[in-house]
Amino acid sequence: MEEANTPVRNRIESTRRGFLQWGTGILTFLCSLAVGIPLIGSFVGPAFRTMKTKWIKVAEVGTLPVGLPISLMVADVQVDAYVQESVVRHLWAVKNSDTEITVFSPICPHLGCHYNWNPASGHFECPCHGSVYAPDGTVLGGPAPRRLDTLPTKIENGELYVEWKQFRSGTSEKIPV
Amino acid sequence: MFSRILKWIDERWPLTPFIRLALEEDMSGGAGYAYVFGSAALIIFLLQVVTGIWQLFYYVPTLGEGYNSLNYLRTEIPFGWLIHGLHYWGANAMVILVMLHMSQVFIWGAYKRPHELQWITGVILFLLTMAMSLTGGALPWGKRSYWLVEVASSSAGTVPVIGDMIKRMMLGGGVIGQLTLSRFFILHVAILSGGLMTLAAIHLVALRKVGNAGPWDEKEREKKGPFWPDQVFKDGLAASLIILLLIALSVYTPPPFAGMADPLDASYIPKPEWNFLFLYEVLKFFPGPLEVIATIGVPVVGTLILLLLPFFDRDPERRPGRRPIAMTGWVIVVVGFVALTLAGAYSKTEGLEAGGTSASAPGPAAPAVLSADAKAGMDLFKSNGCAACHRVDGTGGSIGPDLSGEGIKGRSSQWLGDQLRNPKSHNPASIMPSFATLGDKAINQQVEYLQSLKEKVAATASAPAGAVAVATSIGLQGGPGMAVTIIGSAEHGAIIFAGTCSSCHGPQGTGGVANPGSKDETIPPLNPIDRDEFSPEPKVFAEKIDLYIQHGSRPEGPNPQVSMLPFGDTNALTQQQIADLEAYILSLNGVDRAKINHPGLSPGMFFIITLFAFLLVGINLLGWWWFWGVGKRQKKEVDK
Repeated sequence: MEEANTPVRNRIESTRRGFLQWGTGILTFLCSLAVGIPLIGSFVGPAFRTMKTKWIKVAEVGTLPVGLPISLMVADVQVDAYVQESVVRHLWAVKNSDTEITVFSPICPHLGCHYNWNPASGHFECPCHGSVYAPDGTVLGGPAPRRLDTLPTKIENGELYVEWKQFRSGTSEKIPV
Repeated sequence: MFSRILKWIDERWPLTPFIRLALEEDMSGGAGYAYVFGSAALIIFLLQVVTGIWQLFYYVPTLGEGYNSLNYLRTEIPFGWLIHGLHYWGANAMVILVMLHMSQVFIWGAYKRPHELQWITGVILFLLTMAMSLTGGALPWGKRSYWLVEVASSSAGTVPVIGDMIKRMMLGGGVIGQLTLSRFFILHVAILSGGLMTLAAIHLVALRKVGNAGPWDEKEREKKGPFWPDQVFKDGLAASLIILLLIALSVYTPPPFAGMADPLDASYIPKPEWNFLFLYEVLKFFPGPLEVIATIGVPVVGTLILLLLPFFDRDPERRPGRRPIAMTGWVIVVVGFVALTLAGAYSKTEGLEAGGTSASAPGPAAPAVLSADAKAGMDLFKSNGCAACHRVDGTGGSIGPDLSGEGIKGRSSQWLGDQLRNPKSHNPASIMPSFATLGDKAINQQVEYLQSLKEKVAATASAPAGAVAVATSIGLQGGPGMAVTIIGSAEHGAIIFAGTCSSCHGPQGTGGVANPGSKDETIPPLNPIDRDEFSPEPKVFAEKIDLYIQHGSRPEGPNPQVSMLPFGDTNALTQQQIADLEAYILSLNGVDRAKINHPGLSPGMFFIITLFAFLLVGINLLGWWWFWGVGKRQKKEVDK
């Protein structure tokens, strides 16, 4: 059987095997792409979405004290992916007048801890790494890369509204996430 | 370089022997397309594993969020629609492939010595596949999921003596709840799937140990051919075509949005998945105490026959023509399965038959003896949506009084007729709409029907004061209800609409029903809806109409006869039903509640690109095949 034309036979057999091997490889690659790209897309896609923001009603402007920072706990309905739930937002507000109110995000811009107001020193102090901020948010000491993050505010019918946002920590620029 | 790496690994881990075990085998009779089903089932199983794991990035197995989390994946995550679609259709494909594989093995007589263990593991793999299909069906926690769990556990409950214990263990308690879903979840994603993987490995090692059975003809078997690449190529080709088919199914016939599970919704008529329809039909042959024969007897006996098959069929003869009993048995099983499945698919459920044409809407059951007029009145009761507010014999709404015993309250026919023509004649605060437009004949039939209702009202079912109390609390107070977070089923919403809403808003919401005393003089149509309430964004649109359905609304005007009732606030409709209604009303206005917000790539475009890539590769392979064919012809010439 193998005595005659061996080179021709071998060539044909290796062409046949080559066809089947490459064919299998290409089909596998094609199916992997057809399924793999969607898998990667579904994993990566939502990771780079910007957070949706909305206005929260915070307080009546008249009830806030002038000059002193005040800690506010505000009820909000949070829609996080498929979970809709009531949450409490923490805010720091400093009222200079009935038309001028600064609201700070409660998150330290350094590494994301929650800072406190120290009435004795009259400063905001972060317990994690010791960043210190003035009541207007400027950095007085510690590793903080930027001043405290202010949140957008508006006053309607004597009510204070705040747009809840979060920012990237550790950067000198204030970048919304 | 490559061989050095291979050598380095081989000195530490037996990679080359492992690959040899996987690929190097001389197949009896050579490669063949008849053998592709087993490997295709394996490849689709791997696809199920990957898409299943990927779904777990988003899905959570809880009663409150399970349904919404899956639909979040399907509508808000790039390619989520495809991942779920592939898993859904892949599950169906697996059941079919396993059945085809078993049939092939049976016809070829390949379960006979020395392949008994392969056959037995194969039968268990089949059972595990069916169990995966069952437990997986529960996880979306849609309407079908709920009833599937109910029927499956109740079937297990019919086992003599230990039935109740088995049912309780399946449910994690006396009734369906969170623990039930957790159990089905962990069975599906860990225990059954882990068992499938382990058994598949044993099944494959057995194949390598005893070799493939090959053709039934002894002479044919002596011819040998390599497994790699000859058989692997055929397997790969089959699997690629199946994957392309699964993508097409996911694009053009996506799994339905069944609406969230709702045990209170009696208007939903459940049917099992196609692969369990045969049992559902068998169930009908064994009523009452014999039911256990269908629920447990048939599956257990069938499984035992399959498992023991290689032991009572010991004849080494494998040619189908020489095995008349086995072949007849196979034909009977296949024809029986197909016939029962088709019968199940086309059968009307008992509920539908009893209630007549529009019985999917909540409506009363027919009393034993009924005059022709009363019967016509009963049909009117249904078609005019009376059951939306009034309960009769346990079905219907609770906004108006229960009418089950209307005939024994001693009210004159004149009184009832007046009530239908002008409800405010007896109670000025009544919110019941006038049905004067029906005409005297229809009203008399309706009265006749009401007088025929002699059933005593159960104390708990009646809420006669409710109507008046409700009337004072109509209005758009409060925000949207839970319904707006749920993607409802437009299809099921249509059924609820026909029974509850169409009496005021017209068939399919086309309107045309008068409302004297209101500014517009008519009840607003919903098809098309007022432009102020419309939005092309499904969620926004649903939120707008949700306020009306939840809290009701009093139309502008001096003295509107009819007001929109607060169906949500009064619990006349469940939030799941309201979600279904919203999906339906959106669909009437050309908006898809289940619109895919982040498709990644639009399904149609994805399919076109995939198809193009497959065609391109296919054409190239065919070209190559032809080239090789030329070589073969050359060989023949050289042989001459």
